[in-house]
Amino acid sequence: MKIIESSKIKEKAYIEKLESGLTIIIVPKQGTKKKYIIWGTHFGSIDNKFIEPNTNEEVVVPDGVAHFLEHKMFEQKNGINSLDALMALGVDANAYTTNNHTAYLFESTDNFYEALDEFMDYVQNPYYTDENVEKEKGIIGQEIRMYDDDPAWQLYMNALDCLYKENPIKIDIAGTVESISGINKEILYKCYNTFYNPANMVLVVCGDFEPEKILKEIKSRLIPKENHAEIKRFYPPKELVINKKSKETKMEVSQPIFMIGFKDVNDIKSSEEVIKKHIAIEVLLNMLCGKSSKLYKKMYDEGVLLSQPDLDYEFTNLYAHVLISGQTNNPEKFQNELNNAINEFKQNFDESYFNRIKKKVYGDYVCEYNSVADIARMFLADFFKGLNSFDYIEQYDAVTTEYAKQVLEEIFDEKNEIISVVRPKDNN
Amino acid sequence: MSDIKTEIKTGIIVHQIDTNKFKTNLFAVFLSVPLKRDTVTKNALVTAVLRRGTKNMVSQQQISEKLEEMYGANFDCGIEKTGDSHTLKFYLEAINDEFLPEKENLLKESLDILFDIIFNPLIENGKFKEEYVKGEKQNLKQIIESKIDNKSAYSLERCIEEMYKDKPYGLYKYGYVEDIDKITSEDLYNYYTSLIQNCKIDIFVSGAELQNVAELIQNNELIKGLKERQPANIESDTKKERIDEPKYVEESMQVAQGKIVVGLDILSEQDDVYYVGSVYNTILGGGSNSKLFQNVREKASLAYTCGSSYIKRKKNIIIRAGIEIENYDKAIEIIKQQLEDMRNGKFDEDDIEKAKKLLISSIDSIDEEQDTEITYYLGQELAQTNVPIDEYKKKIQETTKEQILELAKSIQINTIYFLRA
Repeated sequence: MKIIESSKIKEKAYIEKLESGLTIIIVPKQGTKKKYIIWGTHFGSIDNKFIEPNTNEEVVVPDGVAHFLEHKMFEQKNGINSLDALMALGVDANAYTTNNHTAYLFESTDNFYEALDEFMDYVQNPYYTDENVEKEKGIIGQEIRMYDDDPAWQLYMNALDCLYKENPIKIDIAGTVESISGINKEILYKCYNTFYNPANMVLVVCGDFEPEKILKEIKSRLIPKENHAEIKRFYPPKELVINKKSKETKMEVSQPIFMIGFKDVNDIKSSEEVIKKHIAIEVLLNMLCGKSSKLYKKMYDEGVLLSQPDLDYEFTNLYAHVLISGQTNNPEKFQNELNNAINEFKQNFDESYFNRIKKKVYGDYVCEYNSVADIARMFLADFFKGLNSFDYIEQYDAVTTEYAKQVLEEIFDEKNEIISVVRPKDNN
Repeated sequence: MSDIKTEIKTGIIVHQIDTNKFKTNLFAVFLSVPLKRDTVTKNALVTAVLRRGTKNMVSQQQISEKLEEMYGANFDCGIEKTGDSHTLKFYLEAINDEFLPEKENLLKESLDILFDIIFNPLIENGKFKEEYVKGEKQNLKQIIESKIDNKSAYSLERCIEEMYKDKPYGLYKYGYVEDIDKITSEDLYNYYTSLIQNCKIDIFVSGAELQNVAELIQNNELIKGLKERQPANIESDTKKERIDEPKYVEESMQVAQGKIVVGLDILSEQDDVYYVGSVYNTILGGGSNSKLFQNVREKASLAYTCGSSYIKRKKNIIIRAGIEIENYDKAIEIIKQQLEDMRNGKFDEDDIEKAKKLLISSIDSIDEEQDTEITYYLGQELAQTNVPIDEYKKKIQETTKEQILELAKSIQINTIYFLRA
């Protein structure tokens, strides 16, 4: 096993890549009772066009299929629902789907190995029937409805619509009631056999484990499978311009909510570079509108903002953007002031402020290592981006003032800026 | 881990939780008073005003700068109702000295800052700074009004409000818009001074290397300035009356999905009803094995979310489901059938075992998160039950089918709330 280490936070990770192509990452955490395991496949809502390895044919699948498949993994041929079986062992089991991956997980304080039997069994044994696929459409239909009523989700989808013209990140993860009506068991098997190949998956465990022992336990539960190597997927080319400047909608909310986005159109660099850039963006965002920023103070004092905006940088090699969102009575005013603040920073970059915020961001990274769940999920998500999570601690020192200034110029460019707003209905 | 308590003055308790599982130390101060209509809004407002500035750090910006220098120590505050008590909560989380790039002593500094925010507010002309109060009044109004934004949380809040009309537990924890305007900076400051001299104060410290922390706290000048006190009784009222018919409440909003909230009363007064209620609730709606999840979602395909939660301190169970509006009758019928099945003993030892395992696993996880552990001990403190985690576990394990059945028979539907288009 390969060992990677972070001396600053005193943590280690053990990485093994099996012949089947499966990667296993073990992060031992002594003295914790909770054990966490997560098994992910590099298959998300954006993967709707690909070459099926068995037939070499090009396949296009309905929107929402990765998420639908996730829902249908739990039912087993013997009539058992694995989610219920895991819960019955007292472990907390779940699954989720994102733009670029699907993950199955459980956390336990007891019965870990019994649960591991069930867990590894169900992820490796799909069982889809016409009846069980049909039944799920009602349930997922209600999940979609729930998001229809969620202003924050609508705000986010509209922001993506502004940022991208054709990028599949715009597709709702759950699809639509119409798109999922076209899903059947054949499509699900096709996707399963393509994307649930070990070479497309990673398994992460975190807890009080002896690395060699847990590796052996996992290996003994794996069904032999052929290594399919890389899957050919089709995505539209990377767009270098935004789709539209703004989008608005009305919903039953008490106050407008806004999301301002900056599309990052710069080229992908090495994984170290990606991490460095990510750290720099987090520092810059906190400098711009974090709790001690001039902008936040002004907006708060004028009653334009109620609390610090949420700050985020989302990226894979298909898309990358900065998002700033929150509640305000005056989205235009906030956007205007934000742009002024950006220009001011470009002209006059305060080094001591930069260093103070850098300290804060370091603390935030260290806090991530408090929980086995956070650690395992972080390693999984970073793995699918080709990153090593410890590098966020290790690259920290490499983020200099000069570098941050360069990122500021690159990313915070008004021509790549968009705004999505959800306003209250007039009759409110 | 355990909660080592030191009453440093009558009514002021330091709780020390030694643990070396974390990279952080967590400090929390809770000010608790009985939940009342005439103080609920003031409590929410005071909490917000306090974080605006102190005599030493006169603005939010200065507080933030200080925290950022401490490797991003996090300060947070809020307001919570736990049973019939209303608690003003203040937290500070700081990296444990061991994981800092350079040696520093953040422990004392953290406590000093936290106490400064709570007990040493910025005062101008014998009252809170006018500008801060004005700003926070406006913000609080918006927080209260934004109750409608999250439809699921709104429906839950509304159901509880209907169940506890004109009773403390029916109050909204952030208070009421109509009260805000008449609160002046002077009123609020007067209220605050009497609050901190009379309320129950619990100070929690969770982390590693906490030797002498109680002493350290005791020697803080601001803590020295606090008087001994006899906090008002904040025991929760759990008396229930039998009713003939549930109350039906229906409300319209522009929603795509309808939200059902069913509020249940537990009339049983058996010993250990708190623990038995937990097991009952888990079988009814606690997870994917529960009757509600299995029948409303898996069998009838009516919902994505359906389950129940247990309000231990008030002896209530709340069922929630998000459904297609036209399926209301069908969903209610299935929900009622589950209650009926529980009452008729249609659950077996296996169901009980599964429920217990799930509960025990979550009890075992309490000390795996610092804030969860603190919240647990605060709950024990407020209810004056002081049950250690091990005993809590034992009580769950000892629950029998007879006890659950007795409780199931005592369940009555208090209110059925429906949010629809």
